[in-house]
Amino acid sequence: MGAFEQVNSKVVRCPISPQSAVLSRRGAMLGYTGDVRFRPVHGQGTGLGGAVGAVMASESAPTMVAEGSGSVLYGHRGLHLTVLDLRGEGLVVEADRLLAHSAGLQTGVQFLGQGGLRNVVRGAVTGQGLFTTSISGTGSVALLSHGGAFPLTVSPGEPVGVDPQAYVAHTGAVQVDLSAKVGWREAVGRGSGEAFQLKLTGSGTVYVQASEQKL
Amino acid sequence: MDSYDAGSLPSDDNVNAYSFCLDLTHDWFLKRGAMIAYYGDARFDPLSALSSASAFVAARFSSPVYAQEWVVVSGAGKVVVADRGHDVNSFDLDAGNLTVRAGNLLAFDTSLELKQSIVPGFLTLLGTGTFIASSNGPVIFVEPPFRADPEALLGWADCPSPSQHFDAAWMAASITGMLTGVFGRASGEERQYDFTGSGTVLLQSSEQTRDDPALLRVLTEQTQVLSPTQAAELAGILQARAARA
Amino acid sequence: MPYGRLMAVLHASGRVLHADLQGDAIRAASGSMVAYTGQIEFVHAGVGGGEGLKAALKRKATGESVSLMQCRGTGRVYLAQNAADVTVVDLTADTLVVESDALLAVSPGLRLDVRFAGLRGATSGQGLATTTVAGDGQVAILSDGPLIGLSVSPGSPVTVDPDAYVASTGQTTPTLVSGVSWRSLVGGGSGEPFSLRFDGTGLVLIQPAER
Repeated sequence: MGAFEQVNSKVVRCPISPQSAVLSRRGAMLGYTGDVRFRPVHGQGTGLGGAVGAVMASESAPTMVAEGSGSVLYGHRGLHLTVLDLRGEGLVVEADRLLAHSAGLQTGVQFLGQGGLRNVVRGAVTGQGLFTTSISGTGSVALLSHGGAFPLTVSPGEPVGVDPQAYVAHTGAVQVDLSAKVGWREAVGRGSGEAFQLKLTGSGTVYVQASEQKL
Repeated sequence: MDSYDAGSLPSDDNVNAYSFCLDLTHDWFLKRGAMIAYYGDARFDPLSALSSASAFVAARFSSPVYAQEWVVVSGAGKVVVADRGHDVNSFDLDAGNLTVRAGNLLAFDTSLELKQSIVPGFLTLLGTGTFIASSNGPVIFVEPPFRADPEALLGWADCPSPSQHFDAAWMAASITGMLTGVFGRASGEERQYDFTGSGTVLLQSSEQTRDDPALLRVLTEQTQVLSPTQAAELAGILQARAARA
Repeated sequence: MPYGRLMAVLHASGRVLHADLQGDAIRAASGSMVAYTGQIEFVHAGVGGGEGLKAALKRKATGESVSLMQCRGTGRVYLAQNAADVTVVDLTADTLVVESDALLAVSPGLRLDVRFAGLRGATSGQGLATTTVAGDGQVAILSDGPLIGLSVSPGSPVTVDPDAYVASTGQTTPTLVSGVSWRSLVGGGSGEPFSLRFDGTGLVLIQPAER
């Protein structure tokens, strides 16, 4: 298994072998060595290559796969990267923030927030980023963030409130509730009508970016 | 936060990862807009305004297309340069040559000679001296054989100029790939710059390039090789592209 | 627990500021909260004194965000804006003049005064606001890239690009500088037609980026 190697805050080097292909956002390849072939992926399955994911998260980027043997450098628009090695623990990430992941990982679409269908629909309308990709299995993932993502521990009795625009991903047994809150408009300062917040409870880690700008 | 005065500012060295301090103990070519602060008596002269005594300095800047964007800074003091928060690095050439993306070149020693590269949008520096260049994220140094996304390419040293590699599998698999041959870049995966031989390739950490206002002038100049019929055909293609954009 | 007696301490790490609140309150740029733990309330706090109403109207006119919120409660609040670098400046009976859109947060007890137009506004006519912060406490400042402090002393003025200027402390006087040499540097196209020269005694804070 070729683990991803973080070259600097904005670039990741991914080893490619016949046993480990890499799925990535299209256009994010910066350069490569070796006998590597790139192939655009058109919507089978879910996750980065997913038709379902692409429809749900309408702005989701097109996908490609790198196969063969060699190594590829990936980066995107100068955004910061967080590289995570998964060993069976699940990861939930906002679909647009996936830069690359080992092709062996299983991906699926997940609704983020248990605030009921009405909140989900409202959230979709206001663009609060509810459509996420859930990732399981063993392999590496590279996530994009504006200004870098920092981890915050979620533990019983210690919930974390997060601006939905600043939410990047989370791991562990964490429940995410989407709710509108009085006073939240001041805190996140956007638009009109109700403002949403994400409330994370349980135990795990949430990754938050240093910006309220969505990708 | 680090604080400095005229004396404690670094001399020809980085202030932090995103800015560099030029010491005016010698003259520099400086891109307009790159200066963010200075101490002392700094003089900024356009290349065209240099007196005949300094004409030999201007003559080292052998790229009329880019000359209007540059000045010579001289006098005494220190000048801090930066580029929109991008990483800024200095490179020392010792009787060498290095080709760098024009949009990223911020300043260079007047002891260096500058020429336009055959690759559009790139400039070649020759001789001995220091130059300062910006990059979106840190610079990554790699050795050939290497294929680089043209947008992520910052420059190269000592190796031959790159050739273009077209990914046939990508083009076949992607309908947009078929169009890119005519309409240019789609995502970067269908076309790379292929480096071979020995030397060093410099990549920036992003496929986002800096605007280069002179690139249009460079390309316009290159269309001189077209016949009037071909030029009219190119005009048609460009109009069609502009209409779709 | 009496409000305002306990000091909320601002900690910057790179692009994120966090403030530990123990029943007290800080003022921060509206919309800058990215996460929090504990019990924290967020309340609108105007623009921070000075030409309050006028400032609010002007803000609407320019689309510039200079309004503040109060974060009060017990817990930790994480603040960030546009992935900008955050620097905490300690003020001890001193005055800091900062471009209003670069102000992220202030600790309790500091006096704020908002004015038009900022130094950048003066050169470009964009009508930007400047906030003067005075007293004892902490100020968190946003910048595109790490802030650089350039000291000014009699006989050693510093000249800066107005697009890179962020803030200043001490007794410094800015002057607009023009001239043939300067104009040749910025050219006919983009960029400020003036530079700013600071004389006096103090510190000028610039960012390694032109807006």
